[in-house]
Amino acid sequence: MKSFLAIDLQKCTGCRNCELACSVAHTQTFNPRRSRIQILKDEPRNLVVPMVCLQCEEPLCEQACPNGAISYNEKGTLVVDHELCIGCENCVTACVYGGIEIDPHTLKAIKCDLCWGDPACVKACEYGAISLVEAKQDGIKARRKGVDLAFQTIKLKTGEVTE
Amino acid sequence: MTFPYKGYAGYYLDVDLTKGKVHKKELEKEWARLYLGGSGVAAKILWDRTGPDTNPLGPDNVLVVGTGPLTGVMFSPSGRMMFATKSPLTGVWAESHVGGFLGAEIKYAGFDFVVFNGRSEKPVYLSLQDGEGELLDAAHLWGKETNVTTQMIREDHKDPTLKTGVIGPAGENGVLYGSIIVDFYRAAGRAGLGTVLGSKNVKAIAASGAQGLEVHDMEAYLEANDKEMEKLKDPLWTESLASLRKYGTTDLVAIINEIGRLPTKNHWTGYYEQADDIGPEIIAEKYRIAQEACHGCAVGCKYIIRVKDGKYPTGPIGGPEYETIMAFGSNCLNNDIESVFHLGKRCDLLGLDTISCGKSIGFAMELYEKGIISKEDADGLDLSWGNSETQAALVEKIARREGFGNLLADGVRKAAEKIGGDAWKYAIHVKGLEASGQDPRAHQSIGLTYATNVRGADHLRSISCVEELGYPEIATSRFGADKAEAILDIMSPQYKGELIWDMENFYAVVDSAVICKYGTMWPPMFYFDTFVNVIPPLTGMTEWGDMKFVRKVAERISHLRRAYNHRLGITRKDETLPHRLLKEPMPTGPSKGGLPDLDEMLDEYYEFRGCDRDTGLPKEGKLKELGLDFVVKELKPKGLTK
Repeated sequence: MKSFLAIDLQKCTGCRNCELACSVAHTQTFNPRRSRIQILKDEPRNLVVPMVCLQCEEPLCEQACPNGAISYNEKGTLVVDHELCIGCENCVTACVYGGIEIDPHTLKAIKCDLCWGDPACVKACEYGAISLVEAKQDGIKARRKGVDLAFQTIKLKTGEVTE
Repeated sequence: MTFPYKGYAGYYLDVDLTKGKVHKKELEKEWARLYLGGSGVAAKILWDRTGPDTNPLGPDNVLVVGTGPLTGVMFSPSGRMMFATKSPLTGVWAESHVGGFLGAEIKYAGFDFVVFNGRSEKPVYLSLQDGEGELLDAAHLWGKETNVTTQMIREDHKDPTLKTGVIGPAGENGVLYGSIIVDFYRAAGRAGLGTVLGSKNVKAIAASGAQGLEVHDMEAYLEANDKEMEKLKDPLWTESLASLRKYGTTDLVAIINEIGRLPTKNHWTGYYEQADDIGPEIIAEKYRIAQEACHGCAVGCKYIIRVKDGKYPTGPIGGPEYETIMAFGSNCLNNDIESVFHLGKRCDLLGLDTISCGKSIGFAMELYEKGIISKEDADGLDLSWGNSETQAALVEKIARREGFGNLLADGVRKAAEKIGGDAWKYAIHVKGLEASGQDPRAHQSIGLTYATNVRGADHLRSISCVEELGYPEIATSRFGADKAEAILDIMSPQYKGELIWDMENFYAVVDSAVICKYGTMWPPMFYFDTFVNVIPPLTGMTEWGDMKFVRKVAERISHLRRAYNHRLGITRKDETLPHRLLKEPMPTGPSKGGLPDLDEMLDEYYEFRGCDRDTGLPKEGKLKELGLDFVVKELKPKGLTK
C-alpha cells in the first residue's frame, strides 16, 4: 500500500536532526540545505513548520514537470529522475506546500523518496514526531493534522478526509 | 584545499575591522590536532594575539567566534558554539558558550572560526554565506534591540532561515557585561563578550550556507554516534532526562534549594523559603507552551513561555533558565515569577548578562539595607529587597548607563571600589565575575571550581554533579572504589582537588568539541571515551583514538588558559573566594553552618594540575610535557614558571 510521512507538530521541538539524517542518507554529507525535509521556524510566533513531500494523490509537481521527470516508483512513492530533471523549477512553483526543492549543489529537483521504505528522518527523530503511515483513513488524518498549521499560515484550506 | 581533517569546514575568517577587510584562511592542522576546536583553539589564538598590554575595549583586543568538529554533525547534544576574548569585566580570560543554530550554520557557511581584530570606523555586521565573508553596513541596526535586529537582518537578506548572533544596546553602550544573543533567546552571556563586539562597532554575525560537512568515515562515525546515543536510554539517566525535557533548567530551582545551595538575598544564604513561587511546577503549569531544542539535540531542555495578562504580558519568548530565575528571583528576594520573566526578557532584548545584572542589583539592594547607599544615591529608587519595579527600572538604566545604572554597569567589583567603605564585603565575585547560582558552603567542590575557573566565579569550567546528585557508579568508575565514598560526600573536601582537576580537563575537551554540559555535566552520560570513539571516524585524526592523547589535549588546553591568566598576573592569591562564601558560615537552611575548606582543596588541585602549591604557577616540566614550550619561553623569563 502507498505510504507517506505524518508529522506530529505537538512533538516536534524544531531541533532539525531529521534534516541532518536526510542529508546523510542522500548526500553522504551533513548539509541541511540538501535535505528533503525542511523545518521552518518563526521564533517570535513560536511556529515550527516541518515541510516534506505529502505524496499527494493528485501531484501538482508531476503535472508541472515538462520532461516527465517525476513519477511513481514501484512502492507508489513520487520520485524525481535526476537524469530527466532539467532544473527548470516548475515543480517548485507548482507545489503549494514546499515539498519539492532545488538542490543547491546539483541544481536539480529533490524531494522525499521515503528512503525506499525506511526513512532516515523517522529513525533520527528522538521525539517521535515523524512516522511513516499507510494511506488509510488514520494515516490520511495524521498527515493532514501535520500540515494544518502550514496551510493556515499560507491561508490555504484543506478538504475533508476521504479514503 | 589541503586541510586534511574532515568534520571541520576547514577555513577561518580573519576580520580586520580597522581596514574593513576580511581574509579567508585555511584552518591550521595543528590547531585541530592539538587543541581540537572551540575553547582550545581560541586559547591558542588569544595567547598569540593578545596579552598584558591589550585593552579589552581597544582595537587591539581580539574576539574569537568558535565552533568544534562536533558542531553540526548530528552528535547530540552538540548544538553549541562559543566566543572568547580578553574580558572587559574581569580583565582576564573570557569564554562564553551558547546553544541554538548559529554554530552549525557558521560551519555550513564554510567556516570553523571567525577572528575579529581592530575596530570598524562605522557600525557593521559580518555576513557569512557559502564560503564568503562580508562586512555590511549596520547603521540602520545600531541602537536596536536584539529581536528587532535579528528580524531586520533576515529581511535585509530576504532569508527567514538566516541564523544570527547579535548585540543589544547594552553592548553598544559599554556595559561591561553585554551579551551576544543567538537566534532570539539564547545568550552567550558571561563576561562581556557582547561589549567587546560593541567596542569594535560590530552589531551582529549572520550566517547561512549550503557548503555541507564531509566525514572521514561516515559509516564508522554513524555507528560510533549511535553507540553514544544509546547511552541516553540507560535507566540511570531516565529521571534526569525526563526532568530536563519537562522543566528545562527550571527544575534546578527546586533541586538546588533542597540542598540549601540556592543563592538567596545576595548570597547571604542558600535557602529560599518562597522557592516554590518561582519553581518548576508553577512555570510548567501556568506559562510553558512548548518544548524547544538546539540543533540536532535529543535532550531538548529549552522551553517557550507566554504570559497572557497581568503587569508583564508577553507573546512567546524563550523561558528563563535557572540562573536567570536565581539572579532576579531568590537572589533579590523576588518571588513574583512574572516579573522574573519580564526581567529576563528585557535583558535578552537589551543584550545584558542576566547573572551579572541580577547580581549587581542584588548587591545594590544589600548596600541599601546596610545603609551604605541611600535612596538618593540610587536616583530615588526604593532598593528594598524584592522590589521588582526597582529591578525593572534598573535593568533599563544599566543598559543605557544612566544615573545609578552607570555605576552598576561596571559590575560589583568596580562598583564596590567606587563606593568604598564596607561595600566590598557584599561584592560576590571572583576575579571580577559575579558569582553564578551556586554556593560552596553547601557543596565543597564548587568552592574550588569558583576559585580556579579561568573566567571567574562560575560553575561551567569544572562543576561536578557526581556528589550533588549522587552517582556512586560514576564516582567509582572514574576515581576508584576507595575514593568514591569521600567524593560522594558533598561536604567533604577530600579528593575534591582531584575531582575538579578531572572535571576541568574533561570540560576543556567538551568546550572544544563543542558540545553541551547537559549530557556531560548533568546527567554525566559522556566522558573522555566518547571523544575517543567519535573523533577519529569523524575527522580522520587517528591519534584521537588513544585515550592518553585525548587526556593530554585536555591538560594542554587547561594549562594554556591558565597560562593566559598567569601572564596577566593571576596567581594563587586571586584563586580564592569572596569573603562571604569563605568566612561566613551558611546561616540558614539544609546546609546551615557549612563553609568550604578551600586551601586543602587548592593544595590537592595544584598537585594534580602540575602547579606550585604556594603560587599556583605551572611547573616548567609539566608545560614541556604538554608541548607548551612556547608558553615556557614567555613565562619563564618573567618568573612565572616553577
